[in-house]
Amino acid sequence: MTAGAATATIDPVSYEIFTHRLWAIGEEGRIALQRVTASPIVAQGGECMCSFYDADGTMILACSGHLRFAAATSDAIRQIIEWYSDEPGIHPGDEFFFNDPYVAGSHTYDIMQIAPVFHGDDRIAWVASSSHTADTGGLLRGAATEIYHEGIRILGLKIVDRGQFREDVFRTITEQCRDPHYVGMDLKSRTAANNVCLRGYQSLVDRFGVDFAIAAGRKLIEDAERMARAKLVAIPDGTWRSRIYGSARNPGSGGPVPYQVVCTATKSGDELTLDFEGSSPQLASDQNSTLPSTLAHVAIGLTNQLFWDVPWSDGKMRPVDVRVPDGSALNCRFPAACGRSPRIGQYVVEAVRECVSKMLFAAGIVEDVNASWGSFWYLGGPGFFYGGHNALGLPNPQGLYDIHGGGFGAAPARDGVATGGQANIPSGGISDVERIEVQYPFLYFSRNHNPDGGGSGRYQGGNGSARLLMVRGSADLSVDFAPYAGLPHGAYGLFGGYPVGTGGIRAILRPGSDLQARLASGDYPVTPAEAIDDGWAQIDPGPERPGRIAVPEGSLIADFVQGGGGYGDPLDREPERVAADVATGIVTTSSAERQYGVVLDAAGEVDSTRTERRRAEIRAARRGGRAVTATQGDEGWDPVRRIHEHIELGRMADGTMSHRCRRCLTGLGPATENYKHGAIRTDRPLADLAPTPMPDGSPFLATLHEYACPGCGTLLQVDVYCRDLGGEEDLWDIHVTG
Amino acid sequence: MPRWDVRGCVHSPTTVSACEAALSTTPEPAAERAPSRTIGVDIGGTFTDVVVLSSDGSVVTAKSATTPAAFAEGVLDGIGEAATMLGMPLDELLASTSLVKHGSTVATNALLTRGGVSVGLITTRGFEDTPIIMRAVGRIDGLPDDEVRHVAAVTKPDPLVPTRLIRGVRERIDAMGQVVVPLNVDDVRSAAHELIEEHRVEALAVSLLHAWANPTHELAIRRLLEDDYGTDRVYLSFGSELSSVAGEYARTNTAIADAYVGPIVGRYLADLDRRLRAAGFVGRLLIMQGNGGLTAPAQATPISTLQSGPAGGMIAAADAADRHGHPRVITTDMGGTSFDVGIIDGGYWPYADEPIFERFRIQQPIIDIQSIGAGGGTIARVDPATGRLLVGPRSAGASPGPVCYGAGGSEPTVTDCDLVLGLIDPEYFLGGRRRLDLGAARAAIQAKLAAPLGMSVEDVAAGVVRIVNSQMSDLIRREVVKSGHHPNDFVLYSFGGAGPVHAVGYARSLGIGSILVFPTSSVFSAFGIAMADLLHTRLATRYVPLPADPDGFNDDLAAIEEALGEQLRDDGFEGGPEFRRFLTMRFRRQTTGEEIRLPWDRLSPDRMAELERLFVDRYEELYGAGVAYRDAGIDVAGVRVDAIGPVAKPAIGTAEAGEPDPSIALKGKRNAYLGEGWHEASVYDHGRLAHPMKLDGPAIVESPFTTIALPPGSRATVDEQHTLVIQP
Repeated sequence: MTAGAATATIDPVSYEIFTHRLWAIGEEGRIALQRVTASPIVAQGGECMCSFYDADGTMILACSGHLRFAAATSDAIRQIIEWYSDEPGIHPGDEFFFNDPYVAGSHTYDIMQIAPVFHGDDRIAWVASSSHTADTGGLLRGAATEIYHEGIRILGLKIVDRGQFREDVFRTITEQCRDPHYVGMDLKSRTAANNVCLRGYQSLVDRFGVDFAIAAGRKLIEDAERMARAKLVAIPDGTWRSRIYGSARNPGSGGPVPYQVVCTATKSGDELTLDFEGSSPQLASDQNSTLPSTLAHVAIGLTNQLFWDVPWSDGKMRPVDVRVPDGSALNCRFPAACGRSPRIGQYVVEAVRECVSKMLFAAGIVEDVNASWGSFWYLGGPGFFYGGHNALGLPNPQGLYDIHGGGFGAAPARDGVATGGQANIPSGGISDVERIEVQYPFLYFSRNHNPDGGGSGRYQGGNGSARLLMVRGSADLSVDFAPYAGLPHGAYGLFGGYPVGTGGIRAILRPGSDLQARLASGDYPVTPAEAIDDGWAQIDPGPERPGRIAVPEGSLIADFVQGGGGYGDPLDREPERVAADVATGIVTTSSAERQYGVVLDAAGEVDSTRTERRRAEIRAARRGGRAVTATQGDEGWDPVRRIHEHIELGRMADGTMSHRCRRCLTGLGPATENYKHGAIRTDRPLADLAPTPMPDGSPFLATLHEYACPGCGTLLQVDVYCRDLGGEEDLWDIHVTG
Repeated sequence: MPRWDVRGCVHSPTTVSACEAALSTTPEPAAERAPSRTIGVDIGGTFTDVVVLSSDGSVVTAKSATTPAAFAEGVLDGIGEAATMLGMPLDELLASTSLVKHGSTVATNALLTRGGVSVGLITTRGFEDTPIIMRAVGRIDGLPDDEVRHVAAVTKPDPLVPTRLIRGVRERIDAMGQVVVPLNVDDVRSAAHELIEEHRVEALAVSLLHAWANPTHELAIRRLLEDDYGTDRVYLSFGSELSSVAGEYARTNTAIADAYVGPIVGRYLADLDRRLRAAGFVGRLLIMQGNGGLTAPAQATPISTLQSGPAGGMIAAADAADRHGHPRVITTDMGGTSFDVGIIDGGYWPYADEPIFERFRIQQPIIDIQSIGAGGGTIARVDPATGRLLVGPRSAGASPGPVCYGAGGSEPTVTDCDLVLGLIDPEYFLGGRRRLDLGAARAAIQAKLAAPLGMSVEDVAAGVVRIVNSQMSDLIRREVVKSGHHPNDFVLYSFGGAGPVHAVGYARSLGIGSILVFPTSSVFSAFGIAMADLLHTRLATRYVPLPADPDGFNDDLAAIEEALGEQLRDDGFEGGPEFRRFLTMRFRRQTTGEEIRLPWDRLSPDRMAELERLFVDRYEELYGAGVAYRDAGIDVAGVRVDAIGPVAKPAIGTAEAGEPDPSIALKGKRNAYLGEGWHEASVYDHGRLAHPMKLDGPAIVESPFTTIALPPGSRATVDEQHTLVIQP
């Protein structure tokens, strides 16, 4: 029996007390979970969540923690109700273990534990505690081609049955995994968190009454919907489009397979439609996203930027219609493997955010506009999922999450935050090297900011970190190894900013035989370039067929996590700031000249004459050799709306709506057409930007389309384009109609 | 005849004298008349508080304005004020004082205002960006939840050391403390030369990877720098000397922050010492630390003085808990912008794991005090989309402050609501020093809250108060639950200007049986500092899988106790120290652990087994039955030893019982919203209350510093130390 319609009236004061308490209970649960877990990614990286649902599984409220888990669990609860209400039944004191990504969640490693809340015989609510457990048995990461390879997939099994912890279920689940103690501790951490949430929710029912609790839950959902609609109304109507690239491995050839995520956002009134038509078909490897995972990542993208101040309940997604083509990489068909769905999910997040950033700009809400977060210049090489044992004989924790220290995107009035974190886990971070070295068989030689890691722009994307580390204390270490794929992943710049910086090397380096002796004599390398140039080690181009590879003791691993996208034309950055960035090592001299047009003298000071000349040359080249165009002037122009850092819409004397450059007033074509058709496009090979080739020497897979104002040469937009994947060549990214 | 002596306020340009009661009692016959006073001083942001404890059991309190240009000036002003109250000249008071115990905000202030010195950092080559990367959590450390969620807008604070003043030196030590790459001395020399000779830094921080496990390289750098530059040229801070806990980011921050404020704190303490001596002081100066204890100035690291004020408050609470026989206490401090909660369990307190100061996490034993943005200045508003009545987290602060201050505030706050509910008297706020504008408060509540919600001004004000009270009780509940207990096991102590108005409100929903409001609450930190003992704390990371040889732990404890005992001797302590010993335990591979207090001095094989049982019991108490997982194995992850050197202090006098009828203290009656409705409340003058008077709600007790609200059904008695004991 579930509770019938609650009719309690909600007084605003009790409602505030109820919601604050509910949030506090969720946070208490999350804190308990993070203290009990044995997983660094949960304890320090914050990949977990506690959340509350109404009787039919609609989410009432989620606490802080990883947003992905909150968005997913509703579907699992609905399925449990449908499948198990009659047999074996859902009883007070039950707790279900669930990790089927085709129903809810992103991959089998996202584990939900879900418990019903009863009032007498009525089921009035649900609580759930979820976290990322990087071991579910199955094939080690990187090798799966169907879901059956990805370990245990539990479609709802009672780990607690009417208050009784099921040792039989516990043992059966944990013994399917390589590291039962770790998996067991994670399982117990979710039970501990659910204990806190259940007790807390019951105390709310005791205090406010069951009818009030149910009605308040409903109001939380309705309030979120109202706030979400209010936010949408503030944005002008229009259509925005984004295209984000990623890459996977071809299980047959072993080679890279680029793919694209295309998002068309249409905002009308208080509703938003996100259509992913044009995205690549599903892939043969584990880089696929199930529909539940895609929807969860759409919710993350919206929550992080557009709806950040709307309480997290299912209500906020009600004004949003999401369309995902069946059989695409974003809606893969069973039994496709999906272990890497958080990666492709991140590209969904970025595709949504690129549209949202431009929507917010057009609405004048500039403080929330941000270029891409933690994007990659290229991907491939050694990953971060390790197998084997450490010096104490304990299994290595499978993931190493320095990747959670990515750079954030630049904003309209400031640079992006360097090593800002993992935006989907607002309260997360990376571990201390000192703590990592206790658990993992590594000795770090460096963890510093990655030079040229952020996208160039008037405001520069934040840099991620670059690391060089040595394998130390493991006889059986292995890692997943992906083929190198040279195109910017998950990246977008805004309004002339570059999508991502070009710094960083990800590779395994084979050491020379004198490595240990040289260490003992007082020296070590801190960058891959130093390791190679000073004869410490040689880059290993990697195996013929990527997959899991052994990494012997003494090997060096060079890795980096990339930065954020840039904002605005790099030539608009003050030369002194570029010089300062070179001095602190954030930007290299070569990119200062190539990207920013800033020439430095031997002392590192700006050479003003040469800088001015260089910048003039770059602008002239962008105009395709044309002279500076005479402006159209202001006559008869009635400005209507600024839709881009440098472009506004306005009414011409003849009454038609048109685009024009705000800097030089040059016209960029009618409002009914893509402004890029009024701009000058330069196709720039990626190799032009990159100071070093890829570690295995393979070619880049895309081109940059740079669009400049024909009048003043200001860079308006930099797009990545992969010709092999096709699609709209000059992506119409901004089409404001309201 | 014991009496409470209430004096009028004496205003002068620099001092606000104590309006607080001074307790004097009949001197005990055998009381020594030798110079045996103790003075406690706490420099806060606005006021410098002074408490003088004398051997006759009397307590005199005074306040003076804090003087940031030369903090010692305000200290001498405050002590001078106390001397006036005692009817003696300053030099006579100081000459009869054996101890000045001092907590200061100097280090805090230098960090808050970014007024520290130019610091250079020497660290392990390859890790120069550690204090800039900030483990990525630096972006959100120190921010409230609602700002954390604003991902697109939140940025990192500017680092205390700019990149150009950071140098890496080649060396690597592993997690077991083994040297992998020996220290490159030439790197150290050239780094030091560049930073000291070229960049002219005033202070150097040195923090190397895994120096917590093996400080050899840091010690070598210290010798080298001292050889080359002497001990006076630059101020030196070393990570391994400040912390033995793994985690390079917070430890490096600790060294940097210590260096950043070090020369400033040093100059201040020298100045204070000089001024005190010049004014006739011949006793000893002791410095308050954030760990809740004192040390001699020579041993006080600047970073250890952070949070010494709040620590003083905790000691005062622990002292009261001891005298009242309360095993478990929640301390609550509600001021203008924040609400702070601390826990005392069994006479001591937990330390925060990597406490965050301002926006920087550090590693120091600092009493764990949690805070939310709920205070008198907290703003209430109506969300336009949903019609929700939202209270906080935005605050009008002290400036412009609540609407009723008439200083430009236009958004209704908690204090405005307290005012329209009759809980505070517009004519007697801060003893009448600030007149409040009731009409403006009403108008703002009407326009901004009552009209949009269709409620009356009074109902919406009562609602705001209920909401803020419940936010405070949520924080208290969280802290209590984290300690593994239930709120009704606790007594609640309320201090801070805005606290006692709300205390019954937030205590009732928690099921708390008793609330105490102290006569010293306006100078609570200074009082606690005056009551403090010498204390040195060692926290250290360990990795010991159990079962293990107990002698390993015994040797470890003995070595730590020896070192701490020596520090106490250097403080001038001559007796035998008291030790509290703890091991941090966890299931294997967990990243955090639980601190288990050892009920023994030393371990034995039997006690090792008992220790595991203690841990598992505690664990299930914290996280629920069935959550312990013994098959995973148990590790010891850390050790903590507190070494206490008790300092003799005068006994606080007690009053003899007088008349239980409080009518002599009755100032009048007024209508106030108390509990669930409007009542005619008796209004009492706090200064005229005496032991063992009994008050019944509805009642209001007013002092120049705070107002205590007693709703119907609550009762209060005045105990023999003038503490108001409230049964909510």
